[in-house]
Amino acid sequence: MKITREEIDHLAQLSNFSLSDEEAKSLGVDLENIIKYISQLDELDVKGVEPTYQVFEMENVWRPDEIQPQEADREQLLALTKEQSDHQIKVPKVL
Amino acid sequence: MSKYEITIGIECHVQLATKTKLFSEVDNDARGKEPNSCVSPVDYALPGMLPRLNAEAVRFAVRAGHAMNAEINPISRFDRKHYYYPDLPKGYQISQLYQPIIGTGYIELPDGTKIRIEHAHLEEDAGKLSHFGGYSLVDLNRAGTPLIEIVSMPDIHSAAHARDYCKELWRIMTYAGVTYGDLYNGNMRFDVNISLAPAGAKELGTRAEIKNLNSFRSVERAVEYEYQRQSKLLDKGEKIKQETRGWSDDTGKTTAQRSKEEAQDYRYMPEPDVPPIHLSDKYISAEKAALPLLPSDYRARFRDIIPTDTLEILLDYQPLMEKLSELKDNIKAIANLFTSVLLAEEKSVEMLDDLPSAEQLSNLAEMNAKKELSSTATKEVFLKFFDPQMKSKSALDIAKELGVLQENDTAALEKIVDTVLAKPETQKAQADFKAGQDKVIGFLVGQVMKESHGQANPSTVQQILRQKLK
Repeated sequence: MKITREEIDHLAQLSNFSLSDEEAKSLGVDLENIIKYISQLDELDVKGVEPTYQVFEMENVWRPDEIQPQEADREQLLALTKEQSDHQIKVPKVL
Repeated sequence: MSKYEITIGIECHVQLATKTKLFSEVDNDARGKEPNSCVSPVDYALPGMLPRLNAEAVRFAVRAGHAMNAEINPISRFDRKHYYYPDLPKGYQISQLYQPIIGTGYIELPDGTKIRIEHAHLEEDAGKLSHFGGYSLVDLNRAGTPLIEIVSMPDIHSAAHARDYCKELWRIMTYAGVTYGDLYNGNMRFDVNISLAPAGAKELGTRAEIKNLNSFRSVERAVEYEYQRQSKLLDKGEKIKQETRGWSDDTGKTTAQRSKEEAQDYRYMPEPDVPPIHLSDKYISAEKAALPLLPSDYRARFRDIIPTDTLEILLDYQPLMEKLSELKDNIKAIANLFTSVLLAEEKSVEMLDDLPSAEQLSNLAEMNAKKELSSTATKEVFLKFFDPQMKSKSALDIAKELGVLQENDTAALEKIVDTVLAKPETQKAQADFKAGQDKVIGFLVGQVMKESHGQANPSTVQQILRQKLK
């Protein structure tokens, strides 16, 4: 399957990436290879088989509604951001 | 009849009042707390963090579904909705697209109109952005708060019904106890889809979506504005653009925000980290049985007792409806005290937290009915029920303490009347009355009231006076 430049640009835009021509080209090749690999699954006849959402067949994995102490505190988490101000994460203006 | 028919569908986000977030075990109630102080590594989307579903959020969703007369789907699943925005560190929101927990239902407006619910699903809220000169700040306290998004069918056809729908939904959700329902703080937010079509047309027009309204009044005003805006365009033969618009309470206008054509592409996929929810019939019916009384139940109960206008005012206050339900008689009189006295108080909201007992209220209404208390005195005693010094006392004790008990004992009153009639200053009035000046009776009643220190029942006094002066 051929991935067009428009598709790459669209995906990049959705993720707020800017890509150079070179990056776009090499990503396109990678994506084509990935999709080709995954497409082998298309050879299987899955007529009448329920889609698998969850391989371990678990359900109702839930927890009680109780506050638990956290291992990371606010300052540690904020320290991971590029910029902070007034205990908040500072980002370029978005509207 | 107007030229265009308006069709409205409403999506409502309800923040659930669970103790912890939907997928992390941190405090979900960030009111009055420092920014980013209720955030876990899960909400921060650190690599390798796994969401853990809050069982209580599921229970609240089921309860909310029952409150909307909705089907509860025994199996529901989560999906990832991808979009890139700073208020959402994961780059996707965990939501339910294909198999939501709540299926079709309906709610009934005060006037009996039924609005169908298409479905409602569980999802997580995003963080809060504040915008400054050249930057924005992100507070993730709200990121991960459980929401249910309730999607109505396009069954609404007027601004008033749009408002009524939102208000009724707010009442239902707060009565069901699934949300704090604090609109000012965004506990419930409304997205309103509005389209116009020529009256009688089979197909709906192109719709505009007004996002993020947080009061009933702005829902109503935004719909009225959109009706004007869209009908003017249609009159000119122009097309309506399908777009998202924002509402400003200040200007009273909607403005275009982003056009739907340039597309959101959410790339939904099943959420692999949260296994599906499978609810037993037993679980679902137990939640239904545990549902508290809802506005529609109270309407059915009080329809023939309390006038509709009063009832609709009182329905905004669940504690008052609960209190009225404890009463056996004098319900209408007490409902009137609630609307005319309690709700007129500046601190009425705090007063709702500590209402008088049914017995206190009953006795008070009884004393008023027997004319032992004038209506002014009844209000006075009623307010004392909220006075920390007096609130445990009976109506009778408070009335005695205030000295507002009306003297109804005819024999006692006759004595007072005789005393007044013997006074020289009342002689002229008596003569005038006998000569046919009926209105001087007022002066004489006043004299008796004065003599009784305000405790005589004025209408009884008047009867006695008329008898004696015949």
